[in-house]
Amino acid sequence: MATEDRISFWRRTAKVPGRYHKDKPAFNQSKTKKASSFHEFACSTNDAWDIDDEEDYSLTGVILPNSAALSSSLHSHPAVLVQNQLQHEETVASHKPSEAPNLCNVHQDDTEFIHVNGKVVKSRSDDAHLSACSVRSTLQKQHSLPVRPIIPLVARISDQNASGAPPMTVREKSRLDKFRQLLANPNTDLEELRKHSWSGIPREMRPVTWRLLSGYLPANKERRELVLTRKREEYFGFIEQYYHSRADEQYKDTYRQIHIDIPRTNPLIPLFQQPTVQEVFERILFIWAIRHPASGYVQGINDLVTPFFVVFLSEFVSEDVENFEVAALPIDTQRNIEADSFWCMSKLLDGIQVQTHFIFISTDMINCKCVSQLKWILFQDNYTFAQPGIQNKVKALEELVSRIDEDIHNYFKRYEVEYLQFAFRWMNNLLMRELPLRCTIRLWDTYQAEAEGFSHFHLYVCAAFLIEWRKEILSMVDFQGLLMLLQNLPTIHWGNEEVGLLLAEAYRLKYTFADAPSHYKR
Amino acid sequence: MQNNHHKERLYKILVIGDLGVGKTSIIKRYVHHNFSPNYRATIGVDFALKVLNWDQETVRLQLWDIAGQERFGNMTRVYYREAMGAFIVFDVTRPASFEAVTKWKEDLDSKLTLANGKNVATVLLANKCDQGRDVLTNNGIKMEQFCLENGFVGWYETSAKENINIDEAANCLVKHIIANENDMLQSEVLDTISPQLEKDKGGTCSSCFRSQ
Repeated sequence: MATEDRISFWRRTAKVPGRYHKDKPAFNQSKTKKASSFHEFACSTNDAWDIDDEEDYSLTGVILPNSAALSSSLHSHPAVLVQNQLQHEETVASHKPSEAPNLCNVHQDDTEFIHVNGKVVKSRSDDAHLSACSVRSTLQKQHSLPVRPIIPLVARISDQNASGAPPMTVREKSRLDKFRQLLANPNTDLEELRKHSWSGIPREMRPVTWRLLSGYLPANKERRELVLTRKREEYFGFIEQYYHSRADEQYKDTYRQIHIDIPRTNPLIPLFQQPTVQEVFERILFIWAIRHPASGYVQGINDLVTPFFVVFLSEFVSEDVENFEVAALPIDTQRNIEADSFWCMSKLLDGIQVQTHFIFISTDMINCKCVSQLKWILFQDNYTFAQPGIQNKVKALEELVSRIDEDIHNYFKRYEVEYLQFAFRWMNNLLMRELPLRCTIRLWDTYQAEAEGFSHFHLYVCAAFLIEWRKEILSMVDFQGLLMLLQNLPTIHWGNEEVGLLLAEAYRLKYTFADAPSHYKR
Repeated sequence: MQNNHHKERLYKILVIGDLGVGKTSIIKRYVHHNFSPNYRATIGVDFALKVLNWDQETVRLQLWDIAGQERFGNMTRVYYREAMGAFIVFDVTRPASFEAVTKWKEDLDSKLTLANGKNVATVLLANKCDQGRDVLTNNGIKMEQFCLENGFVGWYETSAKENINIDEAANCLVKHIIANENDMLQSEVLDTISPQLEKDKGGTCSSCFRSQ
């Protein structure tokens, strides 16, 4: 990255406070306190934080000049807030080591926990089962955590606290007010909105905020209704114009692939088994595919519609989105949700593609001789693509990890684990397959708040995510164990706090790496 | 990747075929003895391990479940590397998935060969046979002939759902892999870099095996 870019990045984010700051050491100290689930979590990542410790010194020179100017806004910095909040949680929880953190209201008693937990685990069995036996040993640690509240797969997905609907804290109330105020402005200050969205968007504000941050809605409030009406009409114009062509020779393959994939998109969530919903997804994906002939339908895109659909649906559902009967909504409402999901997903994918981090290879392109030759040439060097693509992102992840955690990197080398074997999916599906849906939605708050969140920041999140499992990785003794661990990471219990920590770590990595690319060079 | 030839053998096996033909289901059935209609589409590659007792030896099968759309992608070459055998799967209720079989076979053979240049042992699976056998009966395809012509060492009608012929198909594949390996050992043209060993003739265990 050019120096100028970095400078402008600092400048641009000068208002975004914190980055790295003095609370971090305190956070590190606090991890020596006695157990809470958060404490466990911190311990499991303490190696990652240890890197931090070393860095305190080396980064001081970089950070200090800015820190004074930033100090006023430090406390509102998203990544910092996460840490503060968690630190607070830990302090409280440490008095009650056998209980869940205070922000996770425990509604269930132990019996119910086991029962429900059984159900939760079972419901993930399509993914988890593969590794059930072999990874069991690595799960021991997870299982031995203090009893955690049950987190349903989707229900209350959009709550700030994944584990229930706790009474709103003063801080949350003021956050909500801040969002209300920002959104009520005749011209929403998008920079401000991003800044506040970074650490999570209040559930009530998420649908409109996502529409704004994705660039679908204009900042000017007066124009919004007009734009919405126009875009929704435009989408249904596409449907009218093109959807019947799904049976045409030209498109029937595309439609068939979509048709096969839809029932197995979130197969365990009843919402997505409703014919109404499946038809919505088919239309969205088909229209997107034929409007993007260079890529067409690529498996994984179906997953990417899900968060938008659920968030826009949540505007009309107060409880239990997971089981909500969509057909019961007024037809106009259904259509609006569909059109908005289409446009926001399009914006997301266009953004990723424009920044050329994704490459979709379609049948047409494969058949094109020159592309085949190009691919062949590119494959010469151990699949090092000169062409941007997911492979490039995986390669970038590999390089990043080699700098920030040599142990993991060498361990993979030793057991001949290639990043492509597990991280392809991380890039292709934006970690959606690795995290519960509620976590993806929270993650996307930040991705939409962060400049180039989906395309660039995601890389750092992936690195942080990998290092999160450092201990488990280094405890594996063969290729098989490693692969099964890496493809079935036990995140079933994850909620906002874990995602918050992940993002904070990713943020730290991004700054460390972006501003001192050679900092970790061996 | 270790590759002991005495008490323990480890083989990488690919499972490929068009999307939605049941590759993941076959593997789950084979490894975990269960079936669910709820598997999500595989992205990239999924990995599973099956341990077999084989003539007083332990055979470990690394099963590589490769996403059906990957034929159009550009990574199959990476995934195929060092595999010793493959299943190519199609859905008996969907003719298009059968038409894709030869494309998958070509993709495989063009990107993966044993050290001696021979193709890896490949078994064809006609999956979802519990739902009918339209493709097999309607097209008048002579499967034995098809296997011979296309270099498959055998074929099976399978159902992951009803647990039909999965073990049998796997045993057939393992038998051919071991035969290939033994042939290569006997030929003593050792390649010390690649775990794969030279072989000088085709397998002898199946009537429908054809040396390339």
